[in-house]
Amino acid sequence: MATPLLRKVLDPAASLERRKSARDSTALRLLSAERSEEIFPILLEEIVAIGFPRAFVLQVDFETGEIRPGAALNCSSSYLQKFHSTLWASENPTVSALHNLKPAIAGSANSHGERLYCHPLIYRNRTLCWEAERERRHDCLAVQNFHGRRKLQLQDQVCTTCNMRAYANVVVVQLRRGASKGKVRELSSIIELASRYLARLFKVEHYFNRMRDMDVTISQMHTVMESMADPVILTDTHHRVVMLNKAAERFLKVPESVSEGGAHAVEFNNLLFSAALSSMSVSGTESHRDLTLVDVSEGEEVLFEAVSAPTSTSDGVRSGIVTVMRDVTDLRRADQEVRANLGKLRDTEEIVRQERDRLNLVIENVGDPIVVADSAAKVVLFDPLAKDLFGMADAAKHPALVRNQAKLDAYLTAFTFSFSDKQNKPLRLYHPGTNAEVEYAARSGKIYNARGQVSFTVTVLRDLSAWKKLEQLQLERRMLEMEKFAATGRLAGTIAHEINNPLEAIKNAIYLLPGKLKPKGEPVYDILQTEMERVTRIVRQMLGLYRNTEHVGPFDVNAVVEDTLTLFARQLSNSNVKVERQLGTLPPLVGSADQFRQVFSNMVVNARDSMAQGGRLVLRTRHLRATDGVHGRIMVVIADTGCGIPPDIAASIFEPFVSSKGEKGTGLGLWIVRGIVENHGGSIRMRSRPGRGTAFKLSFPVVR
Amino acid sequence: MVAASMTAKSKSRMLVVDDENSVLFTYRMILEEKGYTVDTALTSQEAIEMVTSQAYDVVLCDLSLEQNLTGYDVFDKVRGSRPGTPCVRLTGYANEDVIARAENEGIAVLFKPIDVADLFQAIEDALRKPHASKKQASQ
Repeated sequence: MATPLLRKVLDPAASLERRKSARDSTALRLLSAERSEEIFPILLEEIVAIGFPRAFVLQVDFETGEIRPGAALNCSSSYLQKFHSTLWASENPTVSALHNLKPAIAGSANSHGERLYCHPLIYRNRTLCWEAERERRHDCLAVQNFHGRRKLQLQDQVCTTCNMRAYANVVVVQLRRGASKGKVRELSSIIELASRYLARLFKVEHYFNRMRDMDVTISQMHTVMESMADPVILTDTHHRVVMLNKAAERFLKVPESVSEGGAHAVEFNNLLFSAALSSMSVSGTESHRDLTLVDVSEGEEVLFEAVSAPTSTSDGVRSGIVTVMRDVTDLRRADQEVRANLGKLRDTEEIVRQERDRLNLVIENVGDPIVVADSAAKVVLFDPLAKDLFGMADAAKHPALVRNQAKLDAYLTAFTFSFSDKQNKPLRLYHPGTNAEVEYAARSGKIYNARGQVSFTVTVLRDLSAWKKLEQLQLERRMLEMEKFAATGRLAGTIAHEINNPLEAIKNAIYLLPGKLKPKGEPVYDILQTEMERVTRIVRQMLGLYRNTEHVGPFDVNAVVEDTLTLFARQLSNSNVKVERQLGTLPPLVGSADQFRQVFSNMVVNARDSMAQGGRLVLRTRHLRATDGVHGRIMVVIADTGCGIPPDIAASIFEPFVSSKGEKGTGLGLWIVRGIVENHGGSIRMRSRPGRGTAFKLSFPVVR
Repeated sequence: MVAASMTAKSKSRMLVVDDENSVLFTYRMILEEKGYTVDTALTSQEAIEMVTSQAYDVVLCDLSLEQNLTGYDVFDKVRGSRPGTPCVRLTGYANEDVIARAENEGIAVLFKPIDVADLFQAIEDALRKPHASKKQASQ
């Protein structure tokens, strides 16, 4: 602090004279010092002026613990060097004086035999420093030192309020031999006077430093504030702006070159800000508000979240508010987008849920068991009916379910890894309730993903037994028709039979009449004859309708064909007709075997009649399978190489009383055939080429 | 001994069996006009008695007499006691099966209402057949 200043000694004589006024002037001179460094030199001058040979000041360097000579008067540097010491050298009289904080005289310590007066000085003051005073603290260093209430170690010479390191010095004065006590007292009072002035100056300098430190801190904070991208505003208790950073100025300060609209915008910004401040200041703690301000330079709106906190003095009095504004425009926008997306997602979810519910409804109401499996042929969905058939995953109890599962697995695996898109196959499963075997028609399809790979397979099982029941009903109805047909035939036959006998007699009588009539009766006789023949023909036809249908059930069509061919074998060979059989494997057909016998008989006879000179008769039977593997047809072809059917009657060949055989034919043969065919749910078609031959194609439905 | 091969109309004796009186009457007249000797029977019983007591050249019998198919009883009797006697069945059941079966078995069948020409033809066919057993019987 003090700079070693060596001042030349003044004229001793002059100084002695001035001794009296010297004391008064000492105080004045000390007063004139404006800096603490000046005090010691002035003090040393005064000390020498009152007659002491030499004096110097030792200073404590608290950081190194050294004691060094500072200001000195009439001392050579070599002399001073002796007094270079440390704080811990307590045997050194100067140091011990410092530690004891009492002036002391160290005598005869050196070779010169001089006596030294050591006066310690520390920072002590009667009044509190200003800061302590303001903050009403009592731990000001100066005062504590003054009162000596606590013996403070030198290391503790730090002001707790402002962290300022006080000073500690020792003024060392060489005493002349025989220096009086009064002289020493005078010396002491001068030094104390100097100490008081020093303390005062130190106090001021201390404040100055403090202020400068505070300035530095303030400017650092200012820099920080300015460098913040977010607007920061400091306001006082009346919401007047105390400080703005540059970012805040953009919004709240009117720039120079701006339009009127811009100026209005800034005013508006200020209004909004004030309003926000007011609402925020109501709450005592940190609060935030959303604020939309206009950036005049960019010309766009910015959404801020203003966060404010109250500021207060050290004694807790509100001094204002500091507000930081965060630009949350992007944040809000992102947040809105996320919300919107969330909304869309929810809507989509809802749609998906509805679709799924609809699908479930469809599946539940289809009425057939449905199985959905994935690309590894593992089942992912059973509808309720399928669950009954195959059970849940853990229902290994019921053997029927286990068997069904096994069959289903095999079926699904085969289909999933096959190359076909679709397939229809029968699947025999077991009814869990009755353990009866139930035949299902399984219809499966594949669902492909975007890459064309199988993602799922869907299988619908149709209960054929239901179909079979339906067909059974249809069959029964047909049989009823057949019965009616047969009954009609029987009725016709019975009637014809009844008529037959009287007819026989009449016929014979007519035969006997010629020769017994008068010549006039001849034309009448002719009429009798003709009409008789007609009636005969009709009765014959009607008797041909009589059939005895016995049994309706499954029979082998091929067997009936063979029977018929055997029956007519002699006739056919007699007529030189070569028979060709092409009989395929046929499933049993449900119907009347007797009626079929009549059909084939009629047709074989027709064929024979058409080939009077001989020819070829082909009988072909074939089973046509349907795509669903269950429903099929039996096809029968009866073809001859005979005279064919003339086109004019071909169209009505199946109608009753139409014959190409002249009088020999009953005209009912094909009509009966068609009736029987239709009764069995079948169809018959005829193709004929006069002179070439005729072919009949019969087709019957069959359920395997 | 009369040659069995002589089919003199005057000599041929036939039996006609039918349950209709008018039919019998008219047949008798037709056949007698033709020159045959005709006996008639109304029932199968009657016919059996007559067949037992007498040999005929041809037996014509309706299949349904007092009951359905009792004509067969008559034919059985003929076959039994007068083997070799040609028979002609008269029937109203005219379907192809029966025709074919009859042809296969070589039995003469006539379907009612019977054409008289067919009747004569059938009788002549029957008379032309060798009566080996009749020879035996007559001997």
